[in-house]
Amino acid sequence: MSETSMNTAMGSGVEGATAQPQLREVPAVRMEAVYKHYGDFTALNEVDLKVAKGEKIVICGPSGSGKSTLIRCINHIEKHDEGLIYVNGVELDRQRKNIDVVRRDTGMVFQSFNLFPHMTVLENCILAPMTVNGMSEAEAKNLAMHFLTKVRIPDQAEKFPGQLSGGQQQRVAIARALCMRPKIMLFDEPTSALDPEMVKEVLETMKKLAEEGMTMLCVTHEMGFAREVADRIVFMNEGKVVEQAAPVDFFNHPKSERAKTFLDQIIH
Amino acid sequence: MSHFSPTAAVSYFFNYFLMKGVLVTIGLTVAAVVGGLILGMGVALLRMSSNPALAGAARFYIWFFRGTPLLIQLVVIYSGLPQLGIKFSVITCALVGLILNEAAYLAEIVRSGFMAVSAGQREAAWALSLSPWVTFRRVTLPQAFRLMIPPLGNSINSLLKATSLASVISVEELMRRSDMLMQEHFQILEVYAAATAYYLILTSVWDAIQRRLEKHFGRSSAAKSRRLDARGPVVQASVEARA
Repeated sequence: MSETSMNTAMGSGVEGATAQPQLREVPAVRMEAVYKHYGDFTALNEVDLKVAKGEKIVICGPSGSGKSTLIRCINHIEKHDEGLIYVNGVELDRQRKNIDVVRRDTGMVFQSFNLFPHMTVLENCILAPMTVNGMSEAEAKNLAMHFLTKVRIPDQAEKFPGQLSGGQQQRVAIARALCMRPKIMLFDEPTSALDPEMVKEVLETMKKLAEEGMTMLCVTHEMGFAREVADRIVFMNEGKVVEQAAPVDFFNHPKSERAKTFLDQIIH
Repeated sequence: MSHFSPTAAVSYFFNYFLMKGVLVTIGLTVAAVVGGLILGMGVALLRMSSNPALAGAARFYIWFFRGTPLLIQLVVIYSGLPQLGIKFSVITCALVGLILNEAAYLAEIVRSGFMAVSAGQREAAWALSLSPWVTFRRVTLPQAFRLMIPPLGNSINSLLKATSLASVISVEELMRRSDMLMQEHFQILEVYAAATAYYLILTSVWDAIQRRLEKHFGRSSAAKSRRLDARGPVVQASVEARA
């Protein structure tokens, strides 16, 4: 990616008031020549990526292209083998302290929700604020109810995850992540495990979050969502970032052959 | 004496000397379970360690104690170790043997419980920046423990009966005291009938405890869905849809 296109991409993410992109602003995420191998398989192959604060990125590409690996490296759930990753200026260099800072700055939503099944919705939401941030139970419950209301399920607070629908569980997972007040939200195929009729409620929740200016990186096959919400589409193939562009450009004029075939296959 | 005397069997059942043996059996079992769980948890953690030396040591421990008879382990500790100048009291010998042996079995049960907790649970805990201790104590342990209860129950049932082997090194538990009564009165069937009844009672009591534990730790879904019944049909329907 050229310097100019990078600046435009960054500029588009900065909110209205600062029309002039601040070139020196610390990016939310910066990846430089990142590699990740699983045995002989190269999951990430020299990935460079810069995400500005407030920017919404949708990462797409065929399965096995390294999309999930990429966002899982950002909060060090997956350890990259080579290259540099900075999150809000903090380098993920395997120091425990830095990993903790980065994980506190990022919230993650998983394909399979990963709610704690033996805890109620409310207990799921207050565990981290209480044990990590040292909040009192009352404070944490207030905070949790605030975010549960935001994802429109405050009435489910006393239930266990297994008693909720998939869409409700995923919204709880979003609320649980928000309770740590992250600066960046990572979504790893958040709607892929949902029944079709549940997809919309989760996407609506994510849109609301995007409108509030949250920095978001989202791996998804929901191209409607990408078109509407993303500032930039990152297209990956075989561990490489093949193409990145604004949604209009990406969907109407994909540059690479691989992206063209991919779009032909998923847009019916 | 060519017949079985039920009255004699009943009187042995209420024999004070035999009852004290029952208490020793219970004490040995409880101590071996507690000690075995603590040691077994440690061995399981080592076995799951990414350090190959630690994992190897744990693997060797499990292989050794599961691969040799408890009877030999007890005899070696009681009669063999004094040859090297290591001497314990009889009851200590029995406890050391039972704990070392039980820990090897429990370690594998603990390990399988933890392995059955999905990787996603740990990842969610990392993503929330929970500390390793909180992750263990609040996320993985409760889920693993629930899965561990059935095999744990089996193992404790076996252990309860295995304490009878301690009679060989002269620990006066239920089996040994039955032997002593038998040698004094020669009412073989009557004495052992009383002992058998005690073992059956003890294992049955343990079965009941195990069932309650399973119910208690399986409550997260069951108990609350009962509470939901009161909230109306809509909620109930969504619960059923998930089930």
